[in-house]
Amino acid sequence: MASTKQTARDSQHAKRGARGSTVSRLDKWRGYKYHHRTTLQSSFAKMLREPLQTLLTVLVIAIALTLPTALYISVENIRQLSGGVESSAQITVFVKKGARPVAIEKLGEQLGKLSGVSSVSYISAQTALEEFNAQSGFGSALQYLDENPLPDAFLVQPLLLNDSAKLVAEIRQITLVDDVQLDMEWLSRLDALLDMGRKLVLALAAALGMGVILVVGNTIRLAIQSRRDEIIIVKLVGGTDAYVRRPFLYTGLLFGFFGALIGALMLIGLGFWLEPSVNDLASLYQSQFRLSGLGLSGFAALLVIGGSVGLAGAWISVSQHMRDIKPR
Amino acid sequence: MIRFDNLSKRYTGGFEALRNVSFEMDSGEMAFLTGHSGAGKSTLLKLLMLIERPTAGNLLINGKNLNRLAKSRIPFYRRQLGVVFQNHQLLFDRTVFDNVALPLQVSGYSPSEIGRRVRAALDSVGLLDREKQSPIELSGGEQQRVGIARAVVHKPKILLADEPTGNLDPQLSAEIMALFRRFQDVGVTVLVATHDISLINKMNMRIMRLNQGELELDEVAHGLD
Repeated sequence: MASTKQTARDSQHAKRGARGSTVSRLDKWRGYKYHHRTTLQSSFAKMLREPLQTLLTVLVIAIALTLPTALYISVENIRQLSGGVESSAQITVFVKKGARPVAIEKLGEQLGKLSGVSSVSYISAQTALEEFNAQSGFGSALQYLDENPLPDAFLVQPLLLNDSAKLVAEIRQITLVDDVQLDMEWLSRLDALLDMGRKLVLALAAALGMGVILVVGNTIRLAIQSRRDEIIIVKLVGGTDAYVRRPFLYTGLLFGFFGALIGALMLIGLGFWLEPSVNDLASLYQSQFRLSGLGLSGFAALLVIGGSVGLAGAWISVSQHMRDIKPR
Repeated sequence: MIRFDNLSKRYTGGFEALRNVSFEMDSGEMAFLTGHSGAGKSTLLKLLMLIERPTAGNLLINGKNLNRLAKSRIPFYRRQLGVVFQNHQLLFDRTVFDNVALPLQVSGYSPSEIGRRVRAALDSVGLLDREKQSPIELSGGEQQRVGIARAVVHKPKILLADEPTGNLDPQLSAEIMALFRRFQDVGVTVLVATHDISLINKMNMRIMRLNQGELELDEVAHGLD
């Protein structure tokens, strides 16, 4: 449909061309490309003509983009860190009361042979009682008990946390096993906390994204006002709305892009600044943890997001303020 | 080429700028539009430029009714016009060349084509050597000629001029008018709004006189008034 319209328009143009001007399609395309390039260049040049104003706007955008991104990277890092901790989650296996020592030894071997188990250690009821005595301070009270109330137990270290639920179910099936406990309550608490952190990132990103749109929109509004005469003349000599809009959209795009670029550089700087202290902390915990930054894809994504938000702000502003300029 | 068919324009305030105006202009014809200020000359030109829309009547260009022109087609219609403004409406933030190039850039001409046509247009108004200057460095008459170059650079079929000699001395005004006649000679339809009666009476041309929104005179002048 659109193409038939286009050809109809072209043939109309050709008829007119006999008296007025002919523009071949290739020429049009060249002109279009040239126009886009020069529009981008002149938008950039106009930004440079007011360096302080431009810098301020770009910095505001950069900060607005950096804040949620930094928070996002923090949350991701903590998640990675908690991933490392998760592997240290242990399964405690309590043995039924009255099991014979031979059976208990066999159970130990059986547990060690289960797939997904990294190591098994035995804690006899006696050892557990002694430990409890030493740690709890109820030693004197325990003396009044006739027998040791604690069961024999095994500590099973799973290879992967993801497997541990399956492992727990499997161990439960063993007849000699009384109860199984997976020690990961605090982990699910951390998970919930991280979940909240992610939501906070989203909310902050949305709010600051709106802020960027408003900042760019206001900048574009001022630009439109200062170029009012030009807009009127362009319209009178036959410029389409798209033609009039274009330089402002490019300006918005450039603001968003450079804001994101500076924001990304700020994040990289922040990473370099934090890295030594993070490494110190990690070595204190004997952890292999390394701070992970934006990454190349994150860098690219930030630029794309910055550019789009800038473009959106410009678009909203242009479509609002162009209506006020006559002729329409 | 241009046909006004019982055209009226009433502004939202109630002021009736044009009342039942009817006339026709053939292709390649040249005419002057005169009258006191406020008689409706500017409104008539604004209707032709589609800056304003008529409240009644039809305006036909090349047989096409402008009332039925969709808003999105207005820019393409305007590209058939060349307009010379009283205060020349040049942009001082760019060179003479870039000012004249504007209608071509807007229509998507390639840079090489733009260069050729802009120089041809500047040559036709005798300002080829000024292309790199800013319009602000030029005299009033030169600025107006740049405005004319911009109006004809895309070879429009219709040339409209609103008080093109407004602030110019008689000799410069005569030069500008001679320029318009040259465009008429190559087939452009030329409509010039002016109150400069002494000038146009010497030219033996069609004169349309507006008075309070009505067309009170439409004839070829032979030293009247």
